[in-house]
Amino acid sequence: MTLRSLALTLLCSAVLLLQGCSAWQVNQAAASLTVAGPQATLNRLEQIEPAGRDEAQYLLNTGVLKLYLGDWRGSRQDLEQAKSIMQSMQAVSVTENFAALTANETLRTYNGTPTDQVLVHVMLAISYLMTGDLDGARVEMLQANITMKQLADDDSTMGQLASARFIAGLVYELNGEWDDALISYRRCYTILQARGEPIPEALQVSLLNLTKRQGFKKEYQDFSSQFGQEAQLPGKDEGEWFLIYFDGVVSSKTENRISVFDAEVDTMVSVVMPHYRPSTYQPRRLTLVGAERQQSGILENLEVRAREDLDAESAKILAAATVRAVAKYKMVQEAQSKNDFSGILMNIATVVSEQADVRSWNMLPASLQIARIKSPLPASVSLAEKARSLPPLEQFSNRRSAVILANSLLDRIYVWPPLPERESQAEPASGEQGLQEQQSEQGEANATQ
Amino acid sequence: MKHWILVFAALFLAACATSVERVAPDSTIDLSGAWNDTDSRLVAEEMIQDALSRPWAGEFTGRTGKRPVVIVGTVRNLSHEHINVKTFVADMERALINSGRVDFVASRDDRGEIRDERVDQDLNAREDTRNAAGQELGADFMMQGQINTIIDVEGKEQVRYYQVDLTLISMADNRKVWLGQKKIKKYVKNAKLRY
Repeated sequence: MTLRSLALTLLCSAVLLLQGCSAWQVNQAAASLTVAGPQATLNRLEQIEPAGRDEAQYLLNTGVLKLYLGDWRGSRQDLEQAKSIMQSMQAVSVTENFAALTANETLRTYNGTPTDQVLVHVMLAISYLMTGDLDGARVEMLQANITMKQLADDDSTMGQLASARFIAGLVYELNGEWDDALISYRRCYTILQARGEPIPEALQVSLLNLTKRQGFKKEYQDFSSQFGQEAQLPGKDEGEWFLIYFDGVVSSKTENRISVFDAEVDTMVSVVMPHYRPSTYQPRRLTLVGAERQQSGILENLEVRAREDLDAESAKILAAATVRAVAKYKMVQEAQSKNDFSGILMNIATVVSEQADVRSWNMLPASLQIARIKSPLPASVSLAEKARSLPPLEQFSNRRSAVILANSLLDRIYVWPPLPERESQAEPASGEQGLQEQQSEQGEANATQ
Repeated sequence: MKHWILVFAALFLAACATSVERVAPDSTIDLSGAWNDTDSRLVAEEMIQDALSRPWAGEFTGRTGKRPVVIVGTVRNLSHEHINVKTFVADMERALINSGRVDFVASRDDRGEIRDERVDQDLNAREDTRNAAGQELGADFMMQGQINTIIDVEGKEQVRYYQVDLTLISMADNRKVWLGQKKIKKYVKNAKLRY
């Protein structure tokens, strides 16, 4: 193969790569998620045929959109598949590394950041929770625990998610496994403390309730004096409401390109790095109002987690980009030594093929927030900012607790145990008939608008 | 050089091709180290053998003069994996029924549909073919159980320990008449490199 044909091949490959780049299309869809909404964005994603190496990113995004839309089964299917791909891609690929060091980073299979690898379990657990499958949710939280153990590092909280610990605590609590619930809440607290992040009121109440229930007097007193409040254990005629609130949309990565033209040898060298623009995220809260009221608190700021994950990888990405730049420079020099035209073609090919890996799970909420209140069983509760009232617990459930899932992107909220029929109105939007049918299955959380 | 390229291309294409091979249902194929059909079969075999070799059924028959009636209750999955417990429970039901020593009645989940059908028969079936309500067989024992796991992980290595416990409880007096247990331990080493 002559250098000219090699250069032509590289050029064509680079052009094809750009045209068929499903990750780019996914990022475009993510950018318009806030305006277009989850259903339109999901419809848009379903038109895309993802490349094999982008499949995990694609499925993570379709899975989370389906979760927003209450398509529990569909969301689990996609997220399980993404999880399985990410797990199978943990081994180092020889061919992908070679391709990444000679062409660009997008030729690696997307296997998720540490946050993605843990958060996929959290999203799956929420999906199981909203269908009343507490054992299924428990399985996901056990798996999250294993993943976090694998990612654990003494010097950082990378891959350790407070949200995974809190949801695990919630699942254990709903299962009546108080010991395990307390352990999870303690770990959640430790992570937030290590990061220097505020302790949401719901976690404060969880820690106080569980330490009191289990009779850990010293620990209870310590928490009580630290948080300045007492436990709020529900009385005989009271129940508890838990709120999980997804706020905003996490940022997408963009590309930083540095191009240098060496006039002496007529060669352009480009180095690209993925980066996040400074976050402009302003959290919005949701207030759960019953006999008492509580504003949702940020448990996981995914804007921050995403940036931390990228920062942790940046040295490796920069080293690879440098190796690639040197290799490409040498290839151009080699081509130029044969003839000028081959050199120019090779130079164009090497510059065009230099693409930053801007793939990420970019349809996640910007933050995951929580709230919990106790309320008399015969009293209704409401979500203040959404002006939404929910019937008393005793009217629709034998359980003494209920979970609400709300999202800033939708007016719709989901409640488990499911509300009575008259309370849950059908979603009027077209194209969601299948979704409504799935929701009508016994035991699954239903939507209220 | 061209020959080498052809050889590599052929190997590459061969690696991409889907292949299907039929294997015996009782053959052991471990791919990921997760719970699989072999584990389910091993549990069923152990439980069936144990349940049939213990005296609970004979004692009941000797005391009452009839075969014990069993209902399957909840078998909880408290493990790290989404395990379909119905596979080995169904294997157990089949083996125990076929032994002729035990009867099973439909579980809580299954009998709703049967009752609906009976109501429908009342309206739509010929009188001489109708099955009346209130004639169901009450269970003498309930089978309950759980699957637990302990997983120890270090880097690419894992030890996975599964313990399946099944219990038969007398409906009359809450006595546990049979406890079945199967333990499975696996050492899993994940690859550090892939193609």
